[in-house]
Amino acid sequence: MGNRVKFAAGKLCEFLLTALLVSFFTFAAFSIIPGDAARVMLGTTATEEQVEHLRTELGLNEPLAQRYVSWLTSAMRGDFGKSLAFSEPVSELISSRLPVTLGMSLIALIIVIVVSFPFAAVCSRRPGKFTDRALSAAGHILFAIPPFALSMMLIILFTRVFGIVAVGQYARPSDDFGKFLSCLILPAFCIALPKIAMTFKFLRASMIEYSASDFARTSKSHGLTDFMILIKHIIPNSAVSSITVISLVLSDIMGGSLIVEQVFNLPGLGRLLLAAISRRDFPLLSGIVFYLALMTVVLYFMSDMIAALIDPRIRDRRTS
Amino acid sequence: MNLARISKRYLIMGMTLLGIVLAFFLIGLIWTPYGINDTDAAAKLLAPCADHLFGTDNMGRDVFSRCLAAARYTLLVSFAGVAVALVLGTVAGLAAGYFGGITDKIIMILSNSVMCFPGILLALVAVAVFGPSLYNVIWALGLVFAPTFARVYRSGTIELMTRDFILQSKVMKVPPVRLMYVHILPNLMAQILPAVITGLANMTLFESGMSYLGLGVQPPAASYGKMLSDAQSYMTVAPWLIIFPTLILVFYILGLYFISEWVRTSVRGGSQ
Amino acid sequence: MRYKGNILEVTGLNLSISNGSGVPARILKDLSFNIRSGEILGLIGNSGSGKTITSLTIAGLLSEVATVDSGEILLDGEDLLKKTPQERRRLLGEKIGIIFQDPSSALDPLQTVGSNLNEVLSIRSDVVNKEERRERILNMLKTVGFDDPDEIYGRYPHRLSGGQRQRVLIAGAALMNPALLIADEPTSSLDTVTAMSIMQLLHEMCQEMGISILFISHNLDAVHDFCDRVVVMKEGTVIDSDTSWDIMGQPKSSYTAELLTNSRLDTRTLGIKPGFASEDAETVLTVSGLSASYGKGRILRKRTPPIISGIDMEIKEGECVGLIGSSGCGKTTLVKTLLGLIPASSGTVSSSRKLAAVFQDPVSSLNPAHSIRWHLKEALRCSGKPLRKEEELPAFKKVLNDVGLDEIHLSRFPHQLSGGQRQKVSIAMCLIAEPSVIIADEPFSALDSSSQASIIKTLSDINHERGTAMLIVTHNLRVVRAMCSKLIVMDSGRIVESGLTETILNDPKTEATRALIEADLYGV
Repeated sequence: MGNRVKFAAGKLCEFLLTALLVSFFTFAAFSIIPGDAARVMLGTTATEEQVEHLRTELGLNEPLAQRYVSWLTSAMRGDFGKSLAFSEPVSELISSRLPVTLGMSLIALIIVIVVSFPFAAVCSRRPGKFTDRALSAAGHILFAIPPFALSMMLIILFTRVFGIVAVGQYARPSDDFGKFLSCLILPAFCIALPKIAMTFKFLRASMIEYSASDFARTSKSHGLTDFMILIKHIIPNSAVSSITVISLVLSDIMGGSLIVEQVFNLPGLGRLLLAAISRRDFPLLSGIVFYLALMTVVLYFMSDMIAALIDPRIRDRRTS
Repeated sequence: MNLARISKRYLIMGMTLLGIVLAFFLIGLIWTPYGINDTDAAAKLLAPCADHLFGTDNMGRDVFSRCLAAARYTLLVSFAGVAVALVLGTVAGLAAGYFGGITDKIIMILSNSVMCFPGILLALVAVAVFGPSLYNVIWALGLVFAPTFARVYRSGTIELMTRDFILQSKVMKVPPVRLMYVHILPNLMAQILPAVITGLANMTLFESGMSYLGLGVQPPAASYGKMLSDAQSYMTVAPWLIIFPTLILVFYILGLYFISEWVRTSVRGGSQ
Repeated sequence: MRYKGNILEVTGLNLSISNGSGVPARILKDLSFNIRSGEILGLIGNSGSGKTITSLTIAGLLSEVATVDSGEILLDGEDLLKKTPQERRRLLGEKIGIIFQDPSSALDPLQTVGSNLNEVLSIRSDVVNKEERRERILNMLKTVGFDDPDEIYGRYPHRLSGGQRQRVLIAGAALMNPALLIADEPTSSLDTVTAMSIMQLLHEMCQEMGISILFISHNLDAVHDFCDRVVVMKEGTVIDSDTSWDIMGQPKSSYTAELLTNSRLDTRTLGIKPGFASEDAETVLTVSGLSASYGKGRILRKRTPPIISGIDMEIKEGECVGLIGSSGCGKTTLVKTLLGLIPASSGTVSSSRKLAAVFQDPVSSLNPAHSIRWHLKEALRCSGKPLRKEEELPAFKKVLNDVGLDEIHLSRFPHQLSGGQRQKVSIAMCLIAEPSVIIADEPFSALDSSSQASIIKTLSDINHERGTAMLIVTHNLRVVRAMCSKLIVMDSGRIVESGLTETILNDPKTEATRALIEADLYGV
C-alpha cells in the first residue's frame, strides 16, 4: 500500500511541476516577443500614447517575475484577463467555444477506440494474410491525407455524389443538443480517420508481439483457445501499452480539431485562436494556449493513473 | 508471402510515389507552363483540359503550375524541420539516456512540457508571436518534433547501456562522446530512420495545416495548404482545386510511409 | 520402481521447417524414443540438436512454418498426430503439461497468480464451482512448496522471484494431474540453489503424483542423478539412449562421451590445470577495505545500505582465483566496482596495469554494428599502445589464434558467430590490452556445455602460457576445481572464506560454502 501512495504522490508532484512549467512556457512565449509587445499588438500606425496606455493596462511596465506571479494567480482563479479584440473576459470567450472543440475531440476519440481495437485484433490473428494487408494498406492511405483535405473530399463526395448537404447549420448545445451533435459527427470522423490508422498500427504490432509472448504460450499450454487468449491476455495487455499512444492521439485530435472546424465553419476554439492571432490579441491567445495545454497535462496525468490502475507493475514501481 | 518480397514491394511503391513528387519538385524549380500568379479572367474555374492539365482556380490561375511550384516548400519545410528536430532530439536524448539521474530528469520534464502543447498549437503560437515566415515555421515545427526523437534516443540509449559491450568499453575507458558515436548511434539507426521518415510525413501534415490556416508559407509563394484554403468556397463546383493538391500531399506522405515500412522490414529481416 | 508400460512413444518422426524460400530444412530425422509411465526421461543435446522442437511437437505447440513429414506420436496408445487441432488443444493442460526455460515473463503480468492458474480449470467443465477451483489451486500451490498459498494466490507475478514463478508454472502444468509433464530446461535461468529445489520438486511430483516427466537439458552430467533414463540427441536424431547409470558409466557413442567430458569438465582429457602463482610472483591486484552501494542520486546514496563492504583481496601474477557465492551475494557488484563501473564508497583498488573483463552475456558482449576487426582495433586504440598499420594484422592474428579463432573471423560480424565464438572475441579484446588481471564474470553460464568447456580451456591456456592472472566469477564448482588455485567465497556482500581451492572445498568452514557445495553435488 505504501508504494501505491508513494506512486500516486510522485505522479501528482510530477503533474503539478509540469503544469507549472507549461504555465511558465505559455507566459514566457508572450513575454519574449521581439521588440515591444504593446507595439507589436497595436501595429505600426499606433501613436506613442496609445502604446504607453496599453503597456500600463497589460502591466508590461512591471518586472517580469511579478508579472508572471500575478498572471499565474489570476489564471488559477480562471481569470485570464480581458480580450483586446472582443472586449470580453477571455475565460467567457473560451467557455462559450469549448463545447465544439471538446465535443468533437471526444466523439473522435470514441470513434478511434471503437474502430481500431477490433480491427487490430482481427489483423493480429493472422498477420500477413489478405485481411491484414488490406486493412493495413487502408490505414496507410488514411494516415497520409491531411484531415482538412479529407474533410473537403468528404464534403465533395457527399454533395456531388449523394446530393446531401454535409455541412449542417450549427446549433448551440443548449438550444438543440441533437443538432449540435449531428453537426460534430462528420468533422469528428475526419479527425479520427488518420488517428485510427495510427492507433490501429500500434495496437496491431503490440497484439502480434503479445501473441508471441511467453505468457500467451503458457495459456496455450493450459489448453486455452486462441480467442480466449486474445480476450483474456492479449487485449488487456495491449490496452495498457496503448494508453500512452491513445493519450498522444487525443492531444493530436485536439490540435486537429482546431483546423478541421475551419472547414466545417464551426465556432470552436480554433476560430477563436485564429481571430486572436490575426488581431494580435495576446491575452486571449495566451489564455487559449494555456487552457489547451493544461487540458493535455491533465489528460496525461489521467492516462498515467489509468495505466497504474490496470497494471500492478506500474503501481509498485517507485517513481524514478 | 515472405518478408523479403513484401519489403521489396514497399520499396517499389514508395520510390514510385516519391519519384512523382520529386519530379514535380524538379520540374517546378526550372519551368512552369504558366506563371504561378498569372490570372486569366477568361479562364476562371476551368475543369482539367489540354491547356490546363489540373484546371484553373477562381482567379484563372493554372493549378498545374501552382502544384509544380508548391512542391519545393513542402520538401523544404519537412526536411529542414526534421533536421532541426533531429539535432535537438539527438543531443537531448543521448544526454538523458547516457547520463541518467538529474540530467535525465530535467531533459525529460522539459520535453514532456513541450509535448503537452498540442503540436500544431505550439507552432501556431510561435508563428503568431514571431510573425508568419518560412523560417519561423521551420524552427517552430523543429522544436515541436524534437521531443519525439529525444524519446526514441533516450529509451534506446537506456536499453543499450545495459549491454555488455557498453560495459566493456567503459572498462576500456572509452570517452563518453566516442562511446555514443561508435556504440549507441549505429545501433539506434534502425529505430531512428523510421522515426525520421515518419517525422517528415508528420511535418508535411503540419505544414499544410498551417498554410491552410494562412500561417505557413506566405503568398505570393504557392503552397498546397493555401491552395486548398483558397479553393474551399468553390470546392463543390470545382473539385479539381481540392483533388490535385491533396493528391500530391498524399503521394508524398504515403511514399515516405512505404519507405519507412521498407526500412523497418528490411532491417528486421537483415538482423535475423 | 516398476513401469507399467509406455506413456509416450515417438516413432520415426520426421519434421522440417520452411523459411519462406528454398528447400525446407529437416530438423528432426527419424526420431524415435519412448517414455515409460512414471519415469523421468532426460532428453539431452547441445543447442540446435532439436530437443525443443521435439517437445513442442509432442505438445502440439509448433508454429505454422514447421511440418511433420512422417512418423507417429502415441500418447497412451493414441496417435496425437491424427487428432484434430481442437482435440490436441484439449489434451494440453489435461494430459500434457509443459513448462519452459525462462519463467520471467511466462505469467500474465496484469493478473494475480490465482487468476493466471484459474484459467486452467475454468475452461474445463468438470470443475465449475468457483470455491472448488480456488481450493484446488491452493492445494496445488502448497504441493509445489509455497508455505502460504493464500498469500501467493493474490500476488502479482512481478512480485515473485524466478524460482517462485517457475513453481507457479509447475503448479499450472500439474493442476489437472497430467500423465506427462514436459520440462524444457526449466532450471537454466535460475541460480544453482533455486535450480536444485525445482529439480527436487519435479522429482517429488513424479514419485507422488505419478507424473511422467520429459526433462530436456543440455547438460548430460547434471541430470544423471535425476533421470531414470537418458536419450542423447544430435542433429535431430537419437544418438544414444540408456539408463542414466549406464550412460554415465559406459557411453556407447563417442558423441556422448564427448558431451560427458565437456559437462564434467574432465580436466585430464581437456588438459586444464589450476593456475598457481610462482613463488617470486608480483602482486598485480590489491584490494583493501572496498565497499560500494547503489545509490539513485548523489543525495540519496548515503541512505542505501552497502551491497559489498570490507572487501580485502590480493591477486598475484599467473594466479587464477575463483569467486563464488549464491546469487545476490554481491559478486557482480564487486566485479563492477573493481572495474570502476560503480564508484567505491570506501577502500582502494590498485593494480599494476589495466584490468580487463569478459562479461556474462554472449549476445550483447559485442557491438552488432561493427566487425570483429573493428572490435580488436578499438581494444588496441584503448590500450594506449598503438601499433603501426603493418603490425596490426599479425597482432590480431596472434590473439585470435590464442583464443582458438581464425583470421577469417576478422571480417565477420557478431551475429555471424556463435555464442562461444563471441566470448572468445571478448577474450581476444582483453588480451590486446595486455591487462594485469582478466576478470571473467560468468562468461560461460549462458553457453552449452561444449562451448563452456572450450572457453574454460581457452582461459586456462592463456593463464598458463601468458601468465595473466585471472579472477573467475562463477557458480559452477567444477570450473573452480578445474582452473582456480585459490578461491574466494562471498555471502551478503562480504568475503566469508578465502584460501586454497582444495582446502575450502574439502573442508568448508561456513554455512554459505556448504550450501553451494551441496547444490553442486546435485549437479545443477
